[in-house]
Amino acid sequence: MNVLNFNSEQCARIRRQLDAYLSNELLVETTGEVLRHLESCEACLRELEARTRVRDALRRAAAGQTPPEELRQSIQRQIRGMQPGSFGGFPRLAWALAIALIVVVGGVATEQWIAVQRGRRVVASVLAIGVADHVQCAIKGHNYPDVANPPEKLREKLGPQYAGLLEVVQQKLLGFEILEAHICSIPGSPRKYVHFITRGRGTILSVILTRRDGEHLPDSRWLVSVSSGSVDLYEAHLEGMNAEGFESAEYFGFVVSDLSQASMVKIASALAPSLKAALDEKKLTTETQRSRREGAEANGGLII
Amino acid sequence: MFFHPKVRVEDFEAAAMPHFPDLYRTARLLAQDASEGEDLVQEVYLEAWKSFHRFQSGTNCRAWLFKILFHRLHHFRRRWVKASKVEAFENPEDQDSVIAETPVPQEIRDEDVLKALEKVPIEFREVVLLADVQEFSYKEIAETMKLPLGTVMSRLSRGRKLLRQELAGVAQSFGITPGKEPPRAGESA
Repeated sequence: MNVLNFNSEQCARIRRQLDAYLSNELLVETTGEVLRHLESCEACLRELEARTRVRDALRRAAAGQTPPEELRQSIQRQIRGMQPGSFGGFPRLAWALAIALIVVVGGVATEQWIAVQRGRRVVASVLAIGVADHVQCAIKGHNYPDVANPPEKLREKLGPQYAGLLEVVQQKLLGFEILEAHICSIPGSPRKYVHFITRGRGTILSVILTRRDGEHLPDSRWLVSVSSGSVDLYEAHLEGMNAEGFESAEYFGFVVSDLSQASMVKIASALAPSLKAALDEKKLTTETQRSRREGAEANGGLII
Repeated sequence: MFFHPKVRVEDFEAAAMPHFPDLYRTARLLAQDASEGEDLVQEVYLEAWKSFHRFQSGTNCRAWLFKILFHRLHHFRRRWVKASKVEAFENPEDQDSVIAETPVPQEIRDEDVLKALEKVPIEFREVVLLADVQEFSYKEIAETMKLPLGTVMSRLSRGRKLLRQELAGVAQSFGITPGKEPPRAGESA
């Protein structure tokens, strides 16, 4: 590389202008000044020629880059297959409609979500009735013997209108032994419970029935954990227990234990339809109604 | 506003396709290989078609397409372009006295130019191509590349010198003797 130290300040100044001169970016007066200098300075003229030669060579080389015709055709094909003013081929109007739909659906979904949350609270409050009895009577109260009471004794404890349920529970609660069955209550609450305390799979499981006092489980398919036969099952996890619940014409039915939710769903699915059918049987209802009419004498003062 | 006046593919093609060769050449000379260059041009046209309703008829379609090209190019390159490298090239001392007279071969082959151009860092190559091949004005280059005018001028000056240096190197490596410089007497009037 040749190193040049300009002797002339004018040459140095003109050469600083040469790039702009080459790009035609100089003011008219400055262009005139450069041209006057070039007329009398062979070195600067040669420098301009050298720069021009490089630029022209670059233009020629670039022009030699011929665009492939297939690329042009491919681009045109794609353009013709695509709507303009769109995002990824989706027309803007469609986007507008989609956004409107999302807003509407979002609004409905939000409303639905709020309703579901409200429904879940109702389910939990109903299932808490059964969980409370299981915890108070079976777990904390330990109101069951280590050796199962004989069926006759259990029938006696249940009384004539509920004794028939014992067989249903025995048949449908496979793998569980009924240790105890009675009618109980929780201190401070007027509610009565028909309570089956069973043992199986290494734990205690309660089947509990109690009369509905105008309460209902919410009627929403979003809240039903599973439908078994004609019975909708609801579930909740409360006080460390998993509870499944259903309702009959006059009763709530609960199955409560610390087994997994999946196990509880299976157990309750097997039991609930028969239990509901038994509860809804005209005979039982009639007996219950009669017992209620007859008052305390009919059931030792217990109207559940 | 979700609605826009209907745009016709014929209008788009009439306005944009004449610039296809220019865009291709620029993309090809800035991309790392032919395939990347083709992908780039294709993306530019699809992007342009999607936003053609925003293009104001009567304005400079070529400049608009080049803007899209550089936007996409920089988007992909931003991660690996080393700022420090650019800095080092952008803030040289006035080096006129050192490299201004790098000899230029009398005959320059296209392949030598392309080889030399490849060695010029992309930040400078972009400006040289826009100014010397596409003949954009400094102002248009500044707008297209979103650079200050001064940066455009300094990158162009530096880019031309680098190309010239690389060209001399490539030519020599192929045994081409640079044109002999006449004696330096009478350098200045």
